[in-house]
Amino acid sequence: MHHRLKLISITLIIISLSACSTMSPGTTPTITPAMDHMTFMAGYKPQANLPFVGVYVAQEKGFFAARHLNVSVEHSPGSGQHLQLVAQGKVQVTTQDAAILIKRRSDPGLPLVSFGLIGQTGQQAFASLKSSGFTSPKDWENHIVGFKGTPPPELFALIKAAGADINKIELVNVGFDPRILTEGKVDVYPVYKSNEPFMMQAWGYEIDLWDSADYGIPSIGLTYVTSEETLATQSDILGRFLDAAIEGILYAEKNPAEAVEIVLKYAGPETDREHMRFMLDSELKDLRSPITDENTIGWHDLAQWQALADLLVEYETMQPIDVSKAFTNDLLMKK
Amino acid sequence: MQPNKSQKTLLITLSIVLIFFIGWEVGVLLTDTPVYLLPAPSRIIQTLVLHPETFTQATVLTLGEALTGLLIGVLAGILLATVLTLLPGIEDGVMTLAILIKSTPMVAIAPLLTLWLGFGVLPKIIITALMSFFPVLINVLSGMQRVDPALLDLFKSWNASRWEIFRHLRAPSAIPYLFTALKITGPLSLIGAVVAEWTGASGGLGRTMWLAYTNLNLPFLFAAIFILAASGMLIYRITTWAEAKAVFWQPAQMNS
Amino acid sequence: MQISIQSLSHQYFNGKTTHALEDIHLDILQKQFVALIGPSGCGKSTLIRLIAHLISPSQGKISIGKFDPKQAIENGQVAWMAQSPALLPWLTVAGNLRLAERFQRGKGRQQLSVEQVLERVGLADAADQHPYALSGGMQQRLALARLLLQDAPIWLMDEPFAALDELTRERLTDELFSLWKDFSPTVMWITHNIHEAIKLSDRIIVFSEKPGTIIADVPNTIPHPRVESNPDFQELLSKLRHILHQDSNGN
Repeated sequence: MHHRLKLISITLIIISLSACSTMSPGTTPTITPAMDHMTFMAGYKPQANLPFVGVYVAQEKGFFAARHLNVSVEHSPGSGQHLQLVAQGKVQVTTQDAAILIKRRSDPGLPLVSFGLIGQTGQQAFASLKSSGFTSPKDWENHIVGFKGTPPPELFALIKAAGADINKIELVNVGFDPRILTEGKVDVYPVYKSNEPFMMQAWGYEIDLWDSADYGIPSIGLTYVTSEETLATQSDILGRFLDAAIEGILYAEKNPAEAVEIVLKYAGPETDREHMRFMLDSELKDLRSPITDENTIGWHDLAQWQALADLLVEYETMQPIDVSKAFTNDLLMKK
Repeated sequence: MQPNKSQKTLLITLSIVLIFFIGWEVGVLLTDTPVYLLPAPSRIIQTLVLHPETFTQATVLTLGEALTGLLIGVLAGILLATVLTLLPGIEDGVMTLAILIKSTPMVAIAPLLTLWLGFGVLPKIIITALMSFFPVLINVLSGMQRVDPALLDLFKSWNASRWEIFRHLRAPSAIPYLFTALKITGPLSLIGAVVAEWTGASGGLGRTMWLAYTNLNLPFLFAAIFILAASGMLIYRITTWAEAKAVFWQPAQMNS
Repeated sequence: MQISIQSLSHQYFNGKTTHALEDIHLDILQKQFVALIGPSGCGKSTLIRLIAHLISPSQGKISIGKFDPKQAIENGQVAWMAQSPALLPWLTVAGNLRLAERFQRGKGRQQLSVEQVLERVGLADAADQHPYALSGGMQQRLALARLLLQDAPIWLMDEPFAALDELTRERLTDELFSLWKDFSPTVMWITHNIHEAIKLSDRIIVFSEKPGTIIADVPNTIPHPRVESNPDFQELLSKLRHILHQDSNGN
């Protein structure tokens, strides 16, 4: 019987050793002495969000290498760890949408700074089935509006702007599951324009999108984020990173099909090619704006950011902060 | 040839499983359920077959994490039970600590571990070990303490020392109890690894499930679930097989 | 080896106090085969557990030769056998005996080998079997073999055959007697069966109901072989029955 126990133990050890030797997907180029190393952690799982795409393309097409950068590309599991890791300095760059960035600077006071605004307009919107027949958010009265986690501030602003009575609208926490809308459990559901609509249309549903930007409500999208300390001590590396990433984004703009193939390398077989193409095309629309035309791609406008911060203060009882500290255009100006 | 009893049991089991899957397939077909709500088994199998490398890699990783954590947890449980049996004075204190660990929800600890140790296999192994260790500790301790009083009398009449009683009586007595614990923690370790992966992983079945879910790629999600279920069953069967060999003097509890 | 018990009393404390034995005086000579009979729960088991140093007496003194029970156990002079055969299920028949042998090493007595004792109790063919494959009778036979292996001068036996059917019990009591004849230990044997007590012992000690005291100490000089039909047998039988009856009525 001792013999058998030994056999079982040895088998277990072999299995565990084989597991430990399994490498994770994603490439890590070999380090040559002249390269500077840094870590980029995408703020969510691998997909065709524009800031991610810039990094994927820069990695695969050698834009980082050309600037002597050795970048480890990683992905956040989706619970906010990426912000903590950047604040601690364990990761140099991550991504985050501007509203969350501003909120985290306020509470708990993470020293995070955006150094490139890729989504000049946010992707947040609200979807309803065309069959509901809504013509404006005023029609949401006496219906159910879902939300993920907490009701987003733009929801309240949107309802107010459309002249609807918030008290006549039922709000329900539904978490991530767009099927809730298609199955009719809620009438309105928060989405990212570049994401869920594709799924729902693929399922054969026609949807209406309600974009808070259309109602004059401030909306800003994804940024490249670093910490104040990294910005102070490694701004050169960050500058090179940003250059390469934007070069990657512009390449993707010209070669979207190729860019999608690159994304799929990171995203894996669970991901749908057309979905990624849809996401890329949607987000490219918000890369440029009058502000970037006047300055450069990735530019932050103080008035724009202040308006967003004010929205958060009004609807989310956020403590006001000095918004000018939440972003920097310095690295964009080094051109 | 008349099928013997175990062949009959196998046949019955397979039939039940087959009926279940056929029913599922037909149900989806008849109700025209969309794939993003509930995929048909045929579609799930198809997904499995089309991505053998992805699933194999993920399975090996998760199984590796689970089994490594299981091994560590089991060894820790046995070791601690041994110490507590040989040094009964510290039992209360140590058990209080063990219960504290056990009562802390893993869902709270897992993200912390991920933050400290990264997305590699280590946090998963730790979580799985923590989950596996308590049932083993409790059961093995029970087995070591609850020996047949008649045997204890006998050993005392032989003037056996505490260590001799442990080695010849308590330790072997605990083996059936160990296997009872293993039947629980074996499949549980798999769940532990998967849950730990949900809080951050670079690979594995848990990660595949999370990615598939957020893409609402249900065939992929279910394929991973199938693999997990099959793995859990395999682990359980291996455990009962080993139990029959190790605890040969007790017939398995089966209705004849 | 002699056993001397003086002024022995014992109480159990389990919330309330139970008086198990009261003022026992007993001297057992070398090589005597003593049967202990009496109603259930009257302290017979307690008595031999005290002698075997499994418990310590509340009051009184026990001597085994020149030693106290603790020393006697340390010297391996007391062999114990109870109703449950107490076999290790994961060891074979031979394995169980070899384990017992292990514990006897260095006690410096003439030792029989495992093969010899197996032969003696008729289990030589079962050496490689495990206890679960043996009948109740065979298991107790093995326990007897183990007893032999210990080669101790004192055998303490607590109703060893009570769980067996009549036929097997008869065989095993015959076996026990035969072993006693060959190896001459001092035997203290608890039994519920008065017939068996008369058949084997040369001294029968009768216990009262709880708290246990000795109400009769009867020598048994009936010549062997002892047969039930023998009038002396019947006389002793009714005498013992009478004593037990009186005690239960009297209390």
